[in-house]
Amino acid sequence: MNVANAAVRVHGLVKNHGRGQGRVRAVDEVDLEVPEGQTLAVMGPSGCGKSTLLHLLGGLERPSAGEVWLAGRRVDTLSERALARLRRRSVGFVFQAFHLMEELSAAENVELPALLAGRSRREAKRRANLLLDRVGLADRGRHLPSQLSGGQRQRVAIARALANEPLVVLADEPTGNLDSAATRDVLRIFEELRSAGQTLVIVTHDERVAATADRLISMRDGMFVDDTRLAGSATGWLGGLIGLEG
Amino acid sequence: MQDAVLAMLAKEPSHGYHLRARLQRSLGPLGESMNPGQIYVTLARLEKAGLVVCERADGLPDRPERKVYALTATGQQRVATWLTEVSWPKPDLAEFHLKLVAAAAAGLADPVELVAAQRRELLRRMRETQRAVLAEPDGSAAVLLLEGVVLRLQADLRWLAACERAWSKVDDEAEDA
Amino acid sequence: MGRIALVLRLVLADVRRHRAQAAMLLLAVTAATATMALGLSLGGATQRLYEQTRAATAGPDVVALAPDPGPAVAPALASLAHAPEVVAHNGPYRIVYATLTAHGSASLVVVHGAAETPGTVDRPLVTSGHWVRAGGAVLERGFATALGARVGDRVTISGRSFPVVGIAVTAATSIFPWAPQIGPGGGPSDGGGLVWLTRSDAQALASRDLPVTVALDLKLRDPDATQAFIDAHRHIFTTKVNFSSWQFKADQDAVMLRTTQPVLVVGSWLLSFLSITGVAALAAGRATEQTRRAGLLKAVGATPGLIAAVLLTEYLALALLADALGLVLARLAEPAIASPTASRIGGVGGPTGTVIVATAALAVVVAALSALRPTLRAVRTATVTALTVTAHRPRHRPRLTALSALLPTPLLLGLRLTARRPGRAVLHACSTAVTLIAITALLIYDAQPRWGPAQHREGWGPGLSGVPDLQADHDGRLLLAVSIALIALATVNTVTLTWTTAMEARANMAVARTLGATPGQISAGLSVAQLLPALPGAVAGVPLGILLCGETTTFPFSWIAAAALVILLATTALTALPARLAARRSVAQTLSAEAT
Repeated sequence: MNVANAAVRVHGLVKNHGRGQGRVRAVDEVDLEVPEGQTLAVMGPSGCGKSTLLHLLGGLERPSAGEVWLAGRRVDTLSERALARLRRRSVGFVFQAFHLMEELSAAENVELPALLAGRSRREAKRRANLLLDRVGLADRGRHLPSQLSGGQRQRVAIARALANEPLVVLADEPTGNLDSAATRDVLRIFEELRSAGQTLVIVTHDERVAATADRLISMRDGMFVDDTRLAGSATGWLGGLIGLEG
Repeated sequence: MQDAVLAMLAKEPSHGYHLRARLQRSLGPLGESMNPGQIYVTLARLEKAGLVVCERADGLPDRPERKVYALTATGQQRVATWLTEVSWPKPDLAEFHLKLVAAAAAGLADPVELVAAQRRELLRRMRETQRAVLAEPDGSAAVLLLEGVVLRLQADLRWLAACERAWSKVDDEAEDA
Repeated sequence: MGRIALVLRLVLADVRRHRAQAAMLLLAVTAATATMALGLSLGGATQRLYEQTRAATAGPDVVALAPDPGPAVAPALASLAHAPEVVAHNGPYRIVYATLTAHGSASLVVVHGAAETPGTVDRPLVTSGHWVRAGGAVLERGFATALGARVGDRVTISGRSFPVVGIAVTAATSIFPWAPQIGPGGGPSDGGGLVWLTRSDAQALASRDLPVTVALDLKLRDPDATQAFIDAHRHIFTTKVNFSSWQFKADQDAVMLRTTQPVLVVGSWLLSFLSITGVAALAAGRATEQTRRAGLLKAVGATPGLIAAVLLTEYLALALLADALGLVLARLAEPAIASPTASRIGGVGGPTGTVIVATAALAVVVAALSALRPTLRAVRTATVTALTVTAHRPRHRPRLTALSALLPTPLLLGLRLTARRPGRAVLHACSTAVTLIAITALLIYDAQPRWGPAQHREGWGPGLSGVPDLQADHDGRLLLAVSIALIALATVNTVTLTWTTAMEARANMAVARTLGATPGQISAGLSVAQLLPALPGAVAGVPLGILLCGETTTFPFSWIAAAALVILLATTALTALPARLAARRSVAQTLSAEAT
């Protein structure tokens, strides 16, 4: 796998939190390549460093050591300003707590990234309507986040993450606050994104979410302990679960 | 499964193919592997046991020769008993547990590796089940069943995670010693 | 008793946790109450100073002034001296209108020809040097101070040089620069200083064709019956006689502070307003925490009354403490402000009951207005809601959002930030308006033309210059001091408001950064959010300031426009630092903190 077609690549990535005695190594010399179009899940118990890894990939935090490459461009050395511009074009974030702006309607929330990227209001609006339709909320554009259910809010957040057609969508416990029906809705959207060739990195502690990915990395104490390809090997066991003779 | 077929006849007598369709609807992807003959074999057995009777109904012009199955009194009783039963499938974890113990004791294999392999297998199953869930249309009865399967797999995966932690610790202590 | 102790403990704990807010409330209210106490005590203070000087110098009850020369003067004054109401008198003595130059400055003066040994009435109190002797001049203290003259200096009075042998105060004339009381020939006076010479020196001066008035100091049997005495004797003489009662002089003293008092009183209102703005902004920043605390107290069984008591006690206690501090400060500053001329002696008394009540009321109002919203919110919010409350949810403003979508990113963010908290925007606008009111008033005051005693229009003697216009200078200094206090408070307010806005919007700003907003855009947005309300504030402040000044002859338009511009630029500069600090916060940390 070469750098060119890896959407995300990190090498020797280290992130320390705190100083001196209280120093914690949240991410400990990690290497990773996520090819374009792959859906990657990162799993681990809370505090294993998976959220920090996601923040490092999206340029929200700077690594203590190592390199981060997005679309063949090294980003850990960029200025805050350049990083922000890169985020506009290349990264879409989805958070556990949704992080929608409460005073803006669903459609206005989705428009925001396009406006920040300097697109015209009309273009931003058109794209927002398209995306809300894609996540099944075409009729909820004028609703405020407080008028939407948790699942609907997260779908708005996903639409927002897609507003500038990012290279990679980074999702941090996207279903952590959702019930199973809403989780299914979100996973269905991820499944559609996957088939559309969207690169997706999902951090989760839920096996049910992690198992939907093409590839699953398990993290513990800041290190990768397992890297499994899940795609492509159907076991066919499901149909065999039930026999009339049993 | 015989009990389930009996219970489905409790409401009204039914054709064999009709029963099969109902079963498949409720089971979703889990019922896909059922072949058409299986239901008739089951019904024949039930008839032999005196739990159902087979009545030949007047065939319609386009579908002649149709058998309609109905519950006998014994069958009714059997259904009532089945409904009040509280039996539950036993989780069979002892075998895998013993496998790890034996492998460790004899030095035949690394229990942590065994756990990891098992985990991968369960994750693939989980993936398959989740995809089946996502493929189900809204309001499908089978989703609930699939969710049960998913939750069981999740429980098993969590147990495997516990096994992995425990056996890793044993490894570490062995290395330290 | 246990309940009171509990309230006090909770209040103390809260103050200890939020020292900055407590300090700000204390400072702001101290400034406001001190200013108000000063403003309110001035009237009484000049009265008291005059009375003390009068007692110490055996001040006359009435001074009779005969400005026209002639043979009728002597019998007229003699009949007054022997009037039945009069128990003692001093004079008659000459008052010569002359000019005095010293230290390169010149002033109109009246020269009193004084006895070398003063009698029982009008015994000027020598505060340094000694009393008049042949060839030596004694300067009135207020005049000497304005002139910068000391004992041993030489002064030239209408061409003749005298050494200053003493400096004294008297209650027989008004304070500097109103010592002449009447001008030559009984006309209006342009003001000037007072100098005592011996009778023969004064006579020598008078012989050089300078205007002269003859004066007589009278002590009445009933010192309060001055008006009846004047009415009885006003029209019985063939020559013109002017009367000046001690009450008139005491009132004239207060003229010095005629504009001082409004400056202080209005200043104290503006300061109070800014205190409320600033403290309310701080309180709003803590509203979430405060509500949660109230919820906790309710959960463990505190009644709404107790919670209200805790919140109100905290604000009230601080405000009343500040009130006490303000009164002390006012007491310390009062002598300098109430007696700018040094023409009077004695001390001012403590604050009167009225002043104490008025300032306490001011403090209570500031505390109540600042604490009202948080208290009501905390008491009204249901316990469970209070415990889980995150923050006050801003309203959806579709039109404004749509409008801002057309703007560049910093303006887009700024406009939306302003719209999140319209109440705070109003506070900031008012804060800016108050600042500009003060500055406009200061500039207008400074631009007015003045005629002091030294820049007389058509008096006697040559063009004179150099003696400061005490009244104008005094008011100017006070206006400047009040303005500086206002600007300082407004500065703190701006920083506080920006910081509060930044802290409240930090989650939203962090999200905006994940969406690709640069730190520069965020901090620019925060600055814009403060600048937007400051703009109408500045626009409103100028006309209000003009209105407050009353009649004006000169209007320094360009200066005021420049001041408005400077205020807006200063607002931008002041918001820049807190905005930059806020924009630099780690996005990841902010988001994880918000999620929990």
